[in-house]
Amino acid sequence: MADKTLSWSKIGEEPVREKLDSGLEILVLPKPGLKKTYATYATHYGSIDSHFRRPGTSETIDVPDGIAHFLEHKMYEKPEGHDVFERFAELGAYTNAYTEYTSTTFLFSATSDIDACLDTLVRLVEEPHFTPENVEKEKGIIEQEIRMYLDMPGDRLHSNLLHALYQKNPVRLDIAGSVESIRTITPEDLYVCYETFYHPSNMLFFVAGDVDPEQIIHHIAQLEQGRRLKPSGPIERIFPTEPHGVSEKHVEQVMPVAAPLWMMGYKDQAGLSGRELLRRDVVMGLMWSLLLGPSSRLFNDLYQEGLINERFSAHYSSARSYAMSAIGGETPDPQRLESRLLERLPEEPLLEEHFDRIKRKEIGEFVALFENLEDLAFAFNAYHFRGIDLGWIPDVLEEVTLADVEAARRQHFQEDARAVSVILPHR
Amino acid sequence: MTWSKTVDEFLGEWQNGTGWYVYPTKRFKTVTIYAAWIRELEPSARARGALLPHVLRRGTRAWPTRVLMEQQLESLYGASFRADVGKLGDKQLLSFHITVVNGQFLPEHPDTVAAALDFLTEVLDHPQLVDGRFPDEVVDQEKELIKRQISALINDKGQYALSRLIELVADGQRFGLKKLGTPQEIDQVSGDLLVDFLNENRQESPFVFAVVGDVDPDRIQKHMAERWGRGDRRPLTTIQPYTGRHDRNTVVERQDVRQGKLNLAFRTNITAKDPQYPALVMYSGILGGFSHSKLFLNVREKASLAYYAYSRIDPAVALMIIGAGIEFDDYEAARRIIEEQVEAMRAGQFSPEEMAFTLKAYTNDVLSEEDNPGQLIGRQLEQLLIGGGLSGPQLIDALGRVTSAEIVEVAKQVELDTVYFLTSEGDERHGG
Repeated sequence: MADKTLSWSKIGEEPVREKLDSGLEILVLPKPGLKKTYATYATHYGSIDSHFRRPGTSETIDVPDGIAHFLEHKMYEKPEGHDVFERFAELGAYTNAYTEYTSTTFLFSATSDIDACLDTLVRLVEEPHFTPENVEKEKGIIEQEIRMYLDMPGDRLHSNLLHALYQKNPVRLDIAGSVESIRTITPEDLYVCYETFYHPSNMLFFVAGDVDPEQIIHHIAQLEQGRRLKPSGPIERIFPTEPHGVSEKHVEQVMPVAAPLWMMGYKDQAGLSGRELLRRDVVMGLMWSLLLGPSSRLFNDLYQEGLINERFSAHYSSARSYAMSAIGGETPDPQRLESRLLERLPEEPLLEEHFDRIKRKEIGEFVALFENLEDLAFAFNAYHFRGIDLGWIPDVLEEVTLADVEAARRQHFQEDARAVSVILPHR
Repeated sequence: MTWSKTVDEFLGEWQNGTGWYVYPTKRFKTVTIYAAWIRELEPSARARGALLPHVLRRGTRAWPTRVLMEQQLESLYGASFRADVGKLGDKQLLSFHITVVNGQFLPEHPDTVAAALDFLTEVLDHPQLVDGRFPDEVVDQEKELIKRQISALINDKGQYALSRLIELVADGQRFGLKKLGTPQEIDQVSGDLLVDFLNENRQESPFVFAVVGDVDPDRIQKHMAERWGRGDRRPLTTIQPYTGRHDRNTVVERQDVRQGKLNLAFRTNITAKDPQYPALVMYSGILGGFSHSKLFLNVREKASLAYYAYSRIDPAVALMIIGAGIEFDDYEAARRIIEEQVEAMRAGQFSPEEMAFTLKAYTNDVLSEEDNPGQLIGRQLEQLLIGGGLSGPQLIDALGRVTSAEIVEVAKQVELDTVYFLTSEGDERHGG
């Protein structure tokens, strides 16, 4: 088992990484002195993966929307009737799971009995048990979860924006699906998705805490050996070709909110992965900090004009099959805010001195990331599934120039790739 | 230079209306610094309390505009700074937090702690004033933003329902007051009033200063003594717990929502400094603190009525809150199941296993808090304002000694006070 220490040592971090014969990758980060050990077992499978070909087959499969999230819920149920919540409770560990557009993550956080917690996490993810009865029962719970999101204005604002930006890519649909789509889910659908995407070669194990990395890797390797799995071939994820233009330029919804919520998005060309994708992420992140970060002239003019509050923000997000910027927050006057931004975003001067300061901020935030194990695991997993090593960030930050940012701006603000979502109060 | 002594607990003391607390540790890559003026939450001054931190955030003598302040924070490797108003029981906290990356992990090892202390000191002691007052345009802009923040409280339905419940329970007691005040109160604040208010706080309000990270406690104490040690400050009073009584008062309100929010408030008559507190913590944990607890198992897993169902205690005002997000039509069923679980606790229907799981879950929670600088500071503040109580390993020990008889005794003391249900406009079944 040849291990390899990544070059994160500059900031005092020495992660150890391993790839098992089954294809499962493991990363362990020792954090001496911390009380808590945090572990995630994640699959590169999210809400948008609803159309695919299984390795070695030619048949394409379509599954109901929201199934990845449904599957996440159902993994907690086991044949003997006791669910995994109970086993973690016996160990005094906290467990949870979350589903996103491109990944599903199972986790525990514990301050003792780490080996037993690892065993339980492995069992949670590796032993599916779906029956018509237990699948039916979950529908009521998930329906309440969906209804809870439907009452969250910020969540609707963002969901509606994606729906408007994308004509075909399933990122336009809610992660949890709809009350109607989840009603059609069957145990058979769940098994197909499980067997396709919960294969070790599509998964990643992350552990951080006051632990011995060799011992953790050895422990997981032993558990995995019993399954005698070999790496599967590549899963073919089928995404419809996304046209350049948006689905709808402007969408509105009325909700019981106090003031309008406004969000504008720009669809970006997707298809990058690895270092190129990270570079794009970094360039776009720097661009938004320069244009609309809290130290920018534009942010402060809008703030003083009363058009935005301090929570107004802009960010770029990307995966292999989609990429976009989203800018927004609460505003008393959506039209005026939109026209100010359209007028100034392409014209704001980008200054070298400001650029150096923003890079400094990014370096500080990179170091601080290693203090919060939840955020760290989240970031590490998200980068990994896009073919990126988190440790590349400082080097890429170093490489990027102001000219790169200027070039990205010239290309990004295209009117036909722009959409706006607004939540309006009742009259 | 790095401080070598890391005791992993708070050093410091409360004296003459000021307290300084330092938690020297090598566990973190950042240093978190917190300062607050502590006030009684009351209608006459709360609007000024809500506004002042935001106005101080707008400029100092050294960095006179918001942009310059932000640029300084960016230069400190992305230091994060927050100035806002908090609430704990019947206290209003005018709070300032700054977090910086410890220089030892940065290129050229800058002294970020000194820079962060300077920044905080500038904000508190040297605000940007024009002719001795806060500029009108700054005050007006911040007033407008706070008024919008007050109206926006209805956006988050879960939080809204919870705050309505607390208001109904408090029924005039000060812990039910909103920390931001009302739009009318905000309108009455002027730049002059705010300067007087700032000076009053600087001279008279109890002041707390806390630091967590790899720092030298002597240096922090010195900074505190030199900068904020003087003055004749009011003594700190502890939080007044709930003393009222409602007879299962039920209030139903309607909005355009997709999910009903059911919240129940119970009187516990126990705060964190009471000897029965560990038994109350165990009680609430068995009932609804975790995913092995009665509420989660019965409301969610068995009846599939909710995605979430929990209970939690307020250690300061002696209340326990139960909450669940449910279908409008399931109100009676959910309330019945919840009340059955409360009844089961009174009848002593919980197993040694449920107690053991709950103790382990709290052990995990309490120890995990120690990995989070913000939570460490929060815990210290809570103890200060409640006037005692256990935390960390001592709390875990006390929880481990709680007997089932003690839990039943607490269960019999816990009484349903007020119920609040937020439902849809189309739900005709529940008369308001």
